[in-house]
Amino acid sequence: MTAIPTNQVCFRTLGHDAPSSLATYESLGGYQVWRRILKEKTPPEEIVEVLKLSMLRGRGGAGFPTGLKWSFVPRTSPGQKYVVCNSDESEPGTFKDRDIMRYNPHQMIEGMAIAGYVMGATVGYNYMRGEFIEPFESCERALKDARESGLLGDNILGSGIDFDMHNHLGAGAYICGEETALLESLEGKKGMPRFKPPFPANYGLYGRPTNVNNTESYASVPIILEKGGQWFLDLGKPNNGGMKIFSVSGHVNKPGNYEVPLGTPFKDLLAMAGGVRDGNRLKAVIPGGSSVPVLPADIILKTDMDYDSLDKAGSMLGAGSVIVMDETTCMVKVLARIAHFYFEESCGQCTPCREGTGWLSRVIHRIEAGEGKLEYLDLLGDVSNKIMGRTICALGDAAAMPVISFIKHFREEFAYHIEHKKCLVENRS
Amino acid sequence: MVLKRLKHFIKSFTLWELLKGLRLTGRVLFDKKSTIQFPDETTPQSARFRGVHALRRYENGEERCIACKLCEAVCPALAITIDSDQREDGSRRTTRYDIDLFKCIYCGMCEESCPVDAIVETGIANYHFEERGENIMTKEKLLAIGDRYEKQIAADRKQDAPYR
Amino acid sequence: MINIEIDGKKLSVEPGEMIIEVADKAGIAIPRFCYHKKLSIAANCRMCLVEVENAPKPLPACATPVGEGMKVYTQSEKTIEAQKSVMEFLLINHPLDCPICDQGGECELQDVAMGYGEGVSRFTEGKRTVKDKDIGPLIATELTRCIHCTRCVRFGEEVAGIQELGAVQRGEHMKIATYIEGSVDSELSGNVIDLCPVGALTSKPFRFSARAWEMQQRPTIAPHDGVGSHLYLHVMGNQVKRVVPREAEAINETWIADRDRYSYESLHHADRVTKPLVKQEGVWKETDWSQALEVVAKQLNIIAKNDGADQIGCLASPSATLEEHYLLQKWLRALGCQNIDHRLRKTDFRVKEQAPQSAALPCEFTDVEYYDRFLLIGSYLRKDIPMLNHRVRKAVMLGAEVSVLNPVDYDFNFDVAHALISDVRLLSTQLAGILKALSANAPLFSTLPDYLRQVSPDPAQQAVADSLKAGEKVMLFLGSLALHHPEAGLLKALAEGIAKETSGELAFLHEGANAVGARLAGAMPHVGAAGSALPTPGLDAAAMTHAPRKAYVLHQIEPEWDCAYSAQTLQALEQAEFVVALNTFQSDTMLDYADVILPAAAFTETSGTYVNLAGHWQSFEGAVVPQGEARPAWKILRVLANLHDVEGFDYTASTEVRDELKQQVEESAAQSHEVAGQTDTSSLKSYSASRDNTQQGLVRLTETPLYRTDAFVRRSPALQQTTDNQRTGVRVSRQVAEQYKLDPAHPVTLQQGDYSVSLPWQVDEALPGNHVWTAGVAGLGAPFGAIELTQGKVS
Repeated sequence: MTAIPTNQVCFRTLGHDAPSSLATYESLGGYQVWRRILKEKTPPEEIVEVLKLSMLRGRGGAGFPTGLKWSFVPRTSPGQKYVVCNSDESEPGTFKDRDIMRYNPHQMIEGMAIAGYVMGATVGYNYMRGEFIEPFESCERALKDARESGLLGDNILGSGIDFDMHNHLGAGAYICGEETALLESLEGKKGMPRFKPPFPANYGLYGRPTNVNNTESYASVPIILEKGGQWFLDLGKPNNGGMKIFSVSGHVNKPGNYEVPLGTPFKDLLAMAGGVRDGNRLKAVIPGGSSVPVLPADIILKTDMDYDSLDKAGSMLGAGSVIVMDETTCMVKVLARIAHFYFEESCGQCTPCREGTGWLSRVIHRIEAGEGKLEYLDLLGDVSNKIMGRTICALGDAAAMPVISFIKHFREEFAYHIEHKKCLVENRS
Repeated sequence: MVLKRLKHFIKSFTLWELLKGLRLTGRVLFDKKSTIQFPDETTPQSARFRGVHALRRYENGEERCIACKLCEAVCPALAITIDSDQREDGSRRTTRYDIDLFKCIYCGMCEESCPVDAIVETGIANYHFEERGENIMTKEKLLAIGDRYEKQIAADRKQDAPYR
Repeated sequence: MINIEIDGKKLSVEPGEMIIEVADKAGIAIPRFCYHKKLSIAANCRMCLVEVENAPKPLPACATPVGEGMKVYTQSEKTIEAQKSVMEFLLINHPLDCPICDQGGECELQDVAMGYGEGVSRFTEGKRTVKDKDIGPLIATELTRCIHCTRCVRFGEEVAGIQELGAVQRGEHMKIATYIEGSVDSELSGNVIDLCPVGALTSKPFRFSARAWEMQQRPTIAPHDGVGSHLYLHVMGNQVKRVVPREAEAINETWIADRDRYSYESLHHADRVTKPLVKQEGVWKETDWSQALEVVAKQLNIIAKNDGADQIGCLASPSATLEEHYLLQKWLRALGCQNIDHRLRKTDFRVKEQAPQSAALPCEFTDVEYYDRFLLIGSYLRKDIPMLNHRVRKAVMLGAEVSVLNPVDYDFNFDVAHALISDVRLLSTQLAGILKALSANAPLFSTLPDYLRQVSPDPAQQAVADSLKAGEKVMLFLGSLALHHPEAGLLKALAEGIAKETSGELAFLHEGANAVGARLAGAMPHVGAAGSALPTPGLDAAAMTHAPRKAYVLHQIEPEWDCAYSAQTLQALEQAEFVVALNTFQSDTMLDYADVILPAAAFTETSGTYVNLAGHWQSFEGAVVPQGEARPAWKILRVLANLHDVEGFDYTASTEVRDELKQQVEESAAQSHEVAGQTDTSSLKSYSASRDNTQQGLVRLTETPLYRTDAFVRRSPALQQTTDNQRTGVRVSRQVAEQYKLDPAHPVTLQQGDYSVSLPWQVDEALPGNHVWTAGVAGLGAPFGAIELTQGKVS
């Protein structure tokens, strides 16, 4: 257990006094990279190369290599460009970005400043979900401190480089976590995803080239540049570099955020979180947030927590939001709750998602209420398949994948619910 | 040859051929009679009989017809003429619904096409006109027929429902 | 050009085109709802998903650009499966009661559902219902039927230029709504009815009155403005049931203005004249055509003989057809009468119009989009000529700058770069300022009256001048306010001066559907058909009013609305011995002044030609049979001329009349367009005599609102209920209201010389001080003259 290193990347200020303060961050080597870049004018290509080597993959859920993403933005094209941080952490089960912004906001700011430098952007926006009052205040304080120390602004430390950023609170829509919907929302419009292509790298905020990354991705950048890409890659596994924060929630004794290397076996992570509560048996785990396929206990216990292993196991790492369910859990009820969430959060733009999520949610609720029929199970699968891949953004897929996986792995439980008009699980919680 | 003649002679005198013919008459005379004493008696009628038309109402008295004009469109004899407009409550209704019974060929397609079972062909087969223009069945007349024979109309539809 | 393949058909296409555009051109059908070729791409209905080789998922054809070697399958199993599943989703919440839907039979969803829908629904949940919105008198809503394609929303943003409809809420609760309870007021709003693929937005006046399959579609030309939008009349029996646009890329694209769409309602107005009427000893009698025409011929003959043909005056509507104008002038000139005019709202005739022009615009409507500087002089273009305004708006979207010079701060639907809002009496001063800023020594100044020669440009005028100067293609619009202005001649000369300095071109926004045609046909007192010279000029419209005639021939006009000096015109008609009115409608006023009323067919019932501002001769046929005994006006005029034994009136079709004129025009020296500097500047100095340089006192400002322009729109109930039509009565600036301590509860009395009227009033913040705005009010004097305002205590 002690062999597993923790809190070395985004959470490195944890355990220190006033972890979110500029002084603490600088005492741990913070802003050294930024200062060095300002002084040496490190060629942006070099920075991108280090990131590519580190195999830092997008921490927001899609897992796209960050270095590659940065190289897509036309750095030399004239006109304004933007970097945007996606802190609209709305996926049920995810609460890692909140803690980064609460306890280590400077590292994210430094990461964004570096991104701005690499992509030739002078303005950054940090888009937070509407409920993030405390992180907003923490980030505002950090921004103020950074500006006062001359680390942001015009002609930073006499380098001739400009970069400033702004925090923005959204209005609490899940869909604004989708990068193009986030940009629409940031522009003051209704949060609805844009059709892609063009991608934000070419046509982003206000139609300008824009780079959008997750908070954790930005916050990982400074330390990678400080300690080297190889160091970061070695923290994790090949093709799955670095550490990842897992937000463990559900039926565990010690729910919370755990920053551990990618590739850590699930059972170790579960042990760190204190094991399943009340000594119950593990039933299932949603490893990456509510939108990824569920995995039953026997599969997940044999799986390592990294992008490729989870992919092989039939699920996804997503945002690393591990939702643990013990044997007292009614899977029908869980799915009904998840389906209702996507029904409520569909933006209403594309037909399949607008109409399909409501249909799914109602049918599942009907099963849960004991009004189901066996043919509903095939109907659910069919409707989900008709939503998958037919929409502008991935919300349609996100709504369909849990339904498909729940029915795939727990078909008997659904069938029991339908036939006996009650739950298979006694004393369900 | 002689015998044949004799036979003929006897047959002629005994009116044999006549009696032979009357045998059928005699048989039919005592048979069960098939004549219908119309109008005191009528032939049995199918529930699908297509007689004069009627417009039906719902139980609450609301007319069924929604002025969709499908019957007008489908009528092969162009016997139906409909004008429609918005009623005061905002619903779509006919302001005129005429069937020219001289044009109608009683094919029943109006009834088939009606999405709300408003226009029907009743079992009424006996009707006549005395004045020019009476052949035009107006909305009022059709609704009146519907009101009067609703019980029979409903029973006929119910009987036929399993085959639809 | 790149090569792609759709369903095995090899196509060579422009790079950057979307699959759906390419397929449409190649005649390959792909179902769609949200895609519309004139709107931006939303890709939200997902109906056009098609299989593309090497793509993992089906792609939306409307938003996928073609690529070299791309292979698209529109009929493959994968494509059909994707489209069928989208159809199922579209139908689960859509009501399946097509028989009561007004769109039934012409519904895109119904059509596509025939091909892609299942016979039985698997959806057993309750369907979504949405409360309907009242969005005004023109558009009926049934929002439960909405499939959220957002075409109407995009139309508002991208074409109408005011976002009135939006999609509020999200997910299944998303609905089309006006954010704040209110009506949709764009002058192009009716187009959302055509755009809506389902029955969510339908025409309110038409609602439930006919089915698509019962009507016949007949082409015609819109009779209300100088664009001449192409229309289809949908006719059932002999009734025009509704009007929809007919696609004409060069004229109206796929849109039409609400005025063109809803004016058909007037065709069955109770005011229609259906029989010839003759007044005998003060009593109106219905009569037959031969008698009525006899009376007209005889009376005109008597007056011509006893008092001279000069005692006859003729006023014709600028929206009458080319043939009618031509026959009118040919007939009356044969009688020896030159007093004929169609410029009814014009007040300044000092600078004579030169040889008639075959167009009032220097270019095609489509070319307007490529000008980069505009100066609008005295024009509320958006409401005056909505489809031309749309072209200007498109130019602005491409980066053009528009400057305006108006007495009212009008609400345009594009960004106005420079707005000069000026006292209506000072429009010429403003223009002179701009000209001075462009060139202090412009040769024109020497011919101008002193008060214009001495102006010095202020910064605002300088800004306009700089903007125009920086342009590559400049167009100046002389709007109806400028053309009807008491200094119209001066304004025109100044506009020409500015055009010359900026290498710009001049456009005249004449009123009516056939103003250009009327000029070509010779419906003017000083030039004959095709610009032929006249021995002696006759009296213009204003002169016929100020010097009353003994007989009047009125063609399709209602002087109380259509003439500049309405009260004086009515007086002149009252005193005349004989007045014959050819008109589609009658009115109480007409029954007062007229002696014979000849029922003329409406625009849907006659054949004819309108020449639009761009110079297109647009002929049309009668679409329905004239009501009652009404007859096409050109036939009435032909018979009248026959009764007067005038030679050359043996026409059997209106096309013969048109061809006769066309030949004359081709032979004559009619210019393609008026070029700057043509104005005879010799008379400009005389303007100082009439100029009120004090700018003291109140001035009247007369405007013809959008839905008051002609007899047809004035009698269209739905148009009369619109918000646009609330711009009536009397409006005064806040300054005037305070100065005169006006009481909002009581009407005000307006007085011009001997004429006075009492009307309700309201404050208009867009008006400059000292201005009293009237909407073409009957019973007053000069439309831009001094006016007195009082408010007596009313008990």
